[in-house]
Order: sequence, then C-alpha cells, then structure tokens
Amino acid sequence: MINKALIFRIMGSLILIEAGLLVLSLCIGLLYQEYDISAFLYTSLIAATIGLTLRFMGRKAENRMSRRDGYIVVASAWTVFSIIGMLPYMLSGFIPNLADAFFETMSGFTATGATILDNIEDGGHGLLFWRSMTQWVGGLGIVFFTIAILPIFGLGEVKLFAAEATGPTHDKLHPRISTTAQRIWTVYSGLTLLCTALLMLGGMDWYDAICHSLTCTATGGFSNYQDSIAHFHSAYIEYVIIIFMFICSINFTLIYQCFFQGHLTRFWKDTELKWFTIIVGGAAVLCGFTLYSPSYDVELSLEESFRQSLFQVVSVVSTTGYATADYNLWPHVTWSVLCLLMFMGGCAGSTVGGFKAIRIVMLSKLSYNEFKHILHPNSVLPVRINDHVIDSGMRSTLIAFFYIYIITVIIGTILFNFMGLAFSESIGVSLSCVSNVGPAFGEFGPAFSWSHLPDAGKFLASFLMLIGRLEIFSVLLLFTPQFWRNR
Amino acid sequence: MKIVIGGAGAVGTHLALLLSKEKQDIVLIDEDLEHLRKLGSNFDIMVLNASPSSIDAQKKAGVANADLFVGVTPDESKNMACCMIASNLGCKKTVARIDNYEYLAPKNAEFFRHLGINTLVYPEMLAAREISNAVRNTWIRQWWEVGSGDLVMIGVKMRKGSTILNTPLKNLGGSELPYHIVAIKRGDETIIPNGNDQILELDLVYFMANKKDLPEIRRVCGKEQYPEIKKILIMGGGRIAVRTMDLIPNHVQVTIIEKDEKRCQKLTELLAKKNNVLIVHGDGRNLDMLEEVNIQKVQAFIALTGSAETNVLACLSALKSGVVKTVAQVENTEYMKMAEDLDIGTIINKKNIAAGSIYQRLLAADVTNMKTLELANADVAELTVGPDAKITQKMVKDLGLPKGIAIGGLVRNGVGMHVQGNTRIQEGDHVVIFCMSDMIKSLEKYF
Repeated sequence: MINKALIFRIMGSLILIEAGLLVLSLCIGLLYQEYDISAFLYTSLIAATIGLTLRFMGRKAENRMSRRDGYIVVASAWTVFSIIGMLPYMLSGFIPNLADAFFETMSGFTATGATILDNIEDGGHGLLFWRSMTQWVGGLGIVFFTIAILPIFGLGEVKLFAAEATGPTHDKLHPRISTTAQRIWTVYSGLTLLCTALLMLGGMDWYDAICHSLTCTATGGFSNYQDSIAHFHSAYIEYVIIIFMFICSINFTLIYQCFFQGHLTRFWKDTELKWFTIIVGGAAVLCGFTLYSPSYDVELSLEESFRQSLFQVVSVVSTTGYATADYNLWPHVTWSVLCLLMFMGGCAGSTVGGFKAIRIVMLSKLSYNEFKHILHPNSVLPVRINDHVIDSGMRSTLIAFFYIYIITVIIGTILFNFMGLAFSESIGVSLSCVSNVGPAFGEFGPAFSWSHLPDAGKFLASFLMLIGRLEIFSVLLLFTPQFWRNR
Repeated sequence: MKIVIGGAGAVGTHLALLLSKEKQDIVLIDEDLEHLRKLGSNFDIMVLNASPSSIDAQKKAGVANADLFVGVTPDESKNMACCMIASNLGCKKTVARIDNYEYLAPKNAEFFRHLGINTLVYPEMLAAREISNAVRNTWIRQWWEVGSGDLVMIGVKMRKGSTILNTPLKNLGGSELPYHIVAIKRGDETIIPNGNDQILELDLVYFMANKKDLPEIRRVCGKEQYPEIKKILIMGGGRIAVRTMDLIPNHVQVTIIEKDEKRCQKLTELLAKKNNVLIVHGDGRNLDMLEEVNIQKVQAFIALTGSAETNVLACLSALKSGVVKTVAQVENTEYMKMAEDLDIGTIINKKNIAAGSIYQRLLAADVTNMKTLELANADVAELTVGPDAKITQKMVKDLGLPKGIAIGGLVRNGVGMHVQGNTRIQEGDHVVIFCMSDMIKSLEKYF
C-alpha cells in the first residue's frame, strides 16, 4: 500500500524548503535591483502555496513509510524540484523555452553542469545565483539536505536515504541518520566556505567566488561565464579549483572521519581513495605529456601543459565540467582517456556522479579472481575492500548495476543518434548525461553549449541525468510493474 | 542516549527496534551478517558486523562514550565478557543476559558490579514470574503489581455473564466504583476509553484497582465460578519449568511431562527438594498420556516445549478436556496474535519479556517500573512525581494529556488509590500511566 498522505506531507516540506532557497535568490536579486525580482517573487509564492497545500493534504498522515514510498518520494522530489526550479528562468524571460528551462534546472539539481545558455552573462545576478544554488543543493542530494535541516520524517529517513545515497555501500557516521546528514553537510558547507575564501584571495569578487564555490564543491560545473574558468586567466584560481574538485570527489564520510574524528591513517589506507588517486594521477600525467610532446601543435610550457591536463582530467573525473581548455582540440589519444574517466567518476559518498571508483575496484578484483578460479576451481576467493569481504549478494548487485549502466548509456546513444547527432557525439552526450559530467565531445564539447540539441533530446538528456544521479535503480524501479502491484 | 547492543538475535533485534523508535542512538553488533542485513537499511540504527566480544569492534562502535552496553548473545559467558570489556572501555552501565540462576542471588550483585556488569537479566526467571502470576489468578489474563503491591492492574477477557457489558462507562457508577478501566482491547485495536465507550463481549479489559477490591471486579466480570488452582500440568521440563516451580506454592500439586528421559533424570535432581511435584516421562501431545496423568482433574495447563506449534495445539486439546487456564510459550512473534485468537489464556514470549525488562532500565531515571503489554500494543509505566512537575499544577482533567494516555492510579504514602478527573497529583506520588506504544516519551515533560 502506498501511503499517499505521508508522501504529500514530505513533498510539502521539501517544496517549502525550495521556497526558502528561492527567497534567498530573491534577496540577491533585490540587492542588485535587476529584472529577475518579480520572477523569484512569483515562484517563491507558487512554491510556498504548493508546499502548504501538500502539507495540509498530508496532515493526517500515518507515520509509516514503506520502501516504495521512499522511492516515490525521492524520484518525485527531484522532478518536482526541477519543475518549480525552472520557473524563475521562464518567468524572467531569460530562458523562454520550456525544454531549455527544464534541461537547465535538471542539469543544475543533478550537478551535471551542461548548459543550453549561449548568453550566460545576460543573466541577472539572482538568476545566476539560483543556477549555482541548484547545483549545491543537488550535489549531496535534495532529500539528504532536508534530512539534515528538518527532523520531519519520523521513521522514514532511512528509507529515503537508501533511495538517494550513491555507491554500493552506505556508511553511517552516527547511529541516527539525521545526525549523519548534519555532519556530512557540515563538511560540505565548510569546504564551500573555504573554497569561497580562497577564490576571493585569488581576486574574484565575492559574488563570483560564492557562485563558483557552490558549483565547484557540488562538482556541478556551472560557471557565470561563457568561457568557464578560463575567463579568469589565473593559474592560482585554477589550482584552487583543481584541489577542491578533487577533495569533493572523495567520500565525505572518510573526510569527516579523518579530520573531525582524527583517524588520519584511514586516509592512506582507504582502498577506493588509493585507486582513485592513482588513476587520476596516471591520466593527468599521460595527458600532460601528450600536450607537451611535439605531436600537439600548440606550443605550451611544461607547467602550462600539465596544469591544463590536470584541470581537464580532474574536471572530467569529478564530473564537474569546468573547462580551461577545449579538449576537443587535443590529440585524440586523450579523448579515450577522458571518456573512461567520464564513465568512472569519483568515489562513492561524494558529490560526484558516474559509475564510482569503488565499483571499478570491486569489478577489477572480481575479474582478477576469475582468472585464479580457472586454475584452482575449488579455491575460495574473497573480494576485500578495506578488510571487509564483499558478500555474494552485493556482488550480483554490482554486476547488475554495471550491466544496466552500460545498457542505459547505449540506449541513450541510439536515441540521440535517431535525433540526428553524429555517432561520437551521441556516445559523448549519453555518457556525459548518465555520469552527470556536463561537456561531451564534438559540438557538445566544453567550447559549445547544448542549445542545438532538439527539444526531445533535451528532455531525454534531463531524464538520463536524473537516472544517472539516483544511480538508475531508484528511478527505473518506478517503471517496473512489480512496483505498482498491490503487494 | 547512546546504547550499544551486542548480539542481534531475537532479543537484541527487538530491543534495538523498540529503542530506535524512542530516538536513542543504537549500535547493534553481531558476527553474522545475515542477522544484520535487513536492519541497517530499514531502521534508524547503525549495525556493525563483528564479534561483540572483540575489543576493536567495541571501540569502533564507540562503547567508550556509550551510556549502556547490552550483551544479549545466546552465550552467557560471552555476554559477561562483552560487558566486562565494555565497562573497562568506559561504558557507563552494562546489562548481561544470563542462564544461571545462581548469578542472580543478591549477595553476588556486588561481585558482578566489581567485574563491570551492572545488571543481569535472566529471561527464564522473568517468564516464570509471569507464569506464576497467571496461574494464581486464573480469571485474569494479565497481572501487574504496582509499587508496594497495593495497587494492581489486571487484564480480563469479558464473557457473557458479566454485568458491565454494553453500558456506557459513565453509567457504571462514576467515582463510586472501586476500580478504574484504563484500556479496552477489541480485536486488533486498543482503546483508551472515555465515559461514552462501552464494553462488549470478548473485549480484553484492563482494570486498575486495589488488591482488596479484586473480588468485586471478579464479580462484575462474571468470573466467580472460576476454580482455585490445586493441580497444574506442565508440559516440557525446560529451565522455565524449573524456575516456575520455585514460585508455585507448596500446596499446589504439579505434574511435569518431559519427552527426554535424560532430562527427566536431571529434573528429579533439580527439583529434589520439592515434594509437590511428579515427573512423568512421555509426550504431552499424546492423549492417552494426558488421560494417564488425569488431565480432567487439572485446573491449569502450561505448555513450555521449544515448539510454539506443539504448545498451542496441546493447550487447545487441554481446553477441550476441561482445563480452565492454559499458558503457552510462543517464541515466534508472528504466532502470538494467532495464539491469542485461539483463546489461549496467557502467552509467554521469553524474548519480548527480556527485551521489555531491559527496555525499562533504559528509560528516563524516574520511570521506576515499566512493562510492555505485548497483547495490547501499549505500555504501562510507573513514575515518581518530582518536585515542581507540570503534572502537579492542575487537576487531572485540566492537564490536557495527549490522546492515548490514561492515568491509571497512584500510590501516595504507601496507599493505592485510583485517579479521577478531579484528583490533583502531588509531589512524591507514584503514578501509574497507561499509554499507547510510542507515546511514553511525550510523558516526560509532565514529570
């Protein structure tokens, strides 16, 4: 049985929170006295009305949440947030087309960072702040955000957390999920403030610094400028952003344990982080040498080529999507590396999208065991991550996830192909959406916006971003007949 | 409050879920991943897959700043070892589940405290106490003594012949009545009644009364024909049976039927000092066997074998043979509702009793006594009223107590009395509160 009243009540609370965030953007708009004020005013009122109505409809809700309810809440929360979140763009006339506005908002909440805007600089300060804010809230999860600030859900938080959290295992920092959420958000907010301060030291004004740190720590990738981070022409800013993109690709639970609970050794011992660092380092060095070598026709100094390489590699692997250079112009060998990094993404439990490094580690170990198994058919070969043995249930979930991830990307590719995109671009766009990266290849690379995607393609891309962000099962589950059968 | 529970068996799991509803911070440790798998992702608790007696695991679980460690693995020595480790790591209090009667002796309490074990819980002993209360008063389904024991709360199944059926409670006599009806359980529903509610046939009604007024309740319930217990038949000679024997008065004749011959031998040793007991080797499900031990002359039949199905079936056939009071041990929680519907008099669930007993120790310090009524989905708490408590400031009817909470009675200066709307509660009173499950925390602000 689906507990409709409870779903209404929770959705009501979630939408009221969005209304609060809209009011914050309204304040920024008021500060600059620009054309977007009325748009935010109306949207906040609409959101507040919907929120209060839903709260009213769910006032008599029985406090009992099933797993189904959890999945419905999470999937609808992300959709409804995007629908309400696109209103400021449309009402202000900044993005008049529905498909464009929805795409931009979904790309925001899922922290993808692909944009359809060719005139970013025309946006009011309030609108651009809202654009960055959507990424920051979506970075760790909309529902997770709410769990941290409002203890509204009673017993249901755990089910919501299970439906929204990313990665194969969900570590808890504290027995209570709401406390866990508060701690993680403390880390997140702390990193954002630190990033803002460091960016301001590099000469950004406070508004740009806030907007960029919001999208940097969310590994989202929206920038206030058409040419992204390259706009600032500052090596310092690039290094700061590289560091923060990297930190935000690390499991936040691990960061908390290391820096707040003093288990510094865990940092060096963590299997996933070790693999992730090695892969990122290897890719950066490989691309750096390619750029420095004579085969690349642009003359770059050693520092410059490695900075460019490192920035693009970290930006792609952390699924952020900032750019300081157009990798479409790079030697082709770097493309396949970037493509693989796009697929992998960062560590589980961070703000990053993608398949997640930990799953790559598990799959590698699992496959390696298969070789041993052929030689010693009776051997018992455990897969260990941080001294924990991965049991068979988790292994089959892992393989199913791998399969369904690949299939989703392939189906996306085929559909984009139908819409008239070139083959390599279809693959790039599909992978970039599912992994929540942002830029793809060819005409959808970092130098271009996605505005020339057909409207149907924009909706498809939005859908792919959503299922990628919620790790596929959580959304596709709603489309299975078993889910709706009354049992 | 942070609580670490070692052992995710039936007691540990039940306890963890009870406490997580109370918004406590629960860490549950168990060696077997199977026990933990569903818990961590469904309930707001943290699970840790490790041996509870491992020092490293206990450190990881944060025992050092925990308020309580509960050792409830199946092995008593392991439980005690866990508790010793926990208290040495800095845990404030520890509770261990044990199987040895000897350990409970008051003279050993200091010894165990010295070892770092504050409280010992012996589920078989608690179960035996329930059984002996049940057979002493055959017409009562559930029995609970309050404070000094002057005030009791009882649950009675209403049958035809009761004089208080189908009458609104306000017409029964109001404040003149020697009892107070605190709750009615009808089907699956528990009602905290007001004056307009009526009692129907087959309701389970909870009365709060002075002990001296019990005969009056018995009369209005139409239960006067219920005989005194003179002969008891116990099926299954396990530990609960032995502990029950300690509590049954000497003038009552008891027959114990046990299937295992070796256990029979052992029982004769264990119960050597009792001369009111007869041990019979045989299967209690066998009707000839029951004839042989004269089941027609028996007033109470207690089924305590390890199998819930056997116990329930045996009780049913005993009811057919004319036994008045049946008691069945049912360990599967799923069967409890079914057993109740089949009209088994009293149902004993060792795990629930143990979890409930540990639970009561954890609640705020001013809850002196606490019992979960398994059948009624409700809690009974006995609280001592502190100075300047909110509850003392107004008359009961003006307090605006939340729905689902009823004040059953109070003990003032050792004298039990029941509470009316006009009663003003005073500092130092022991108040008995009956409330729906999950409501107990909302009581705290009144005390």
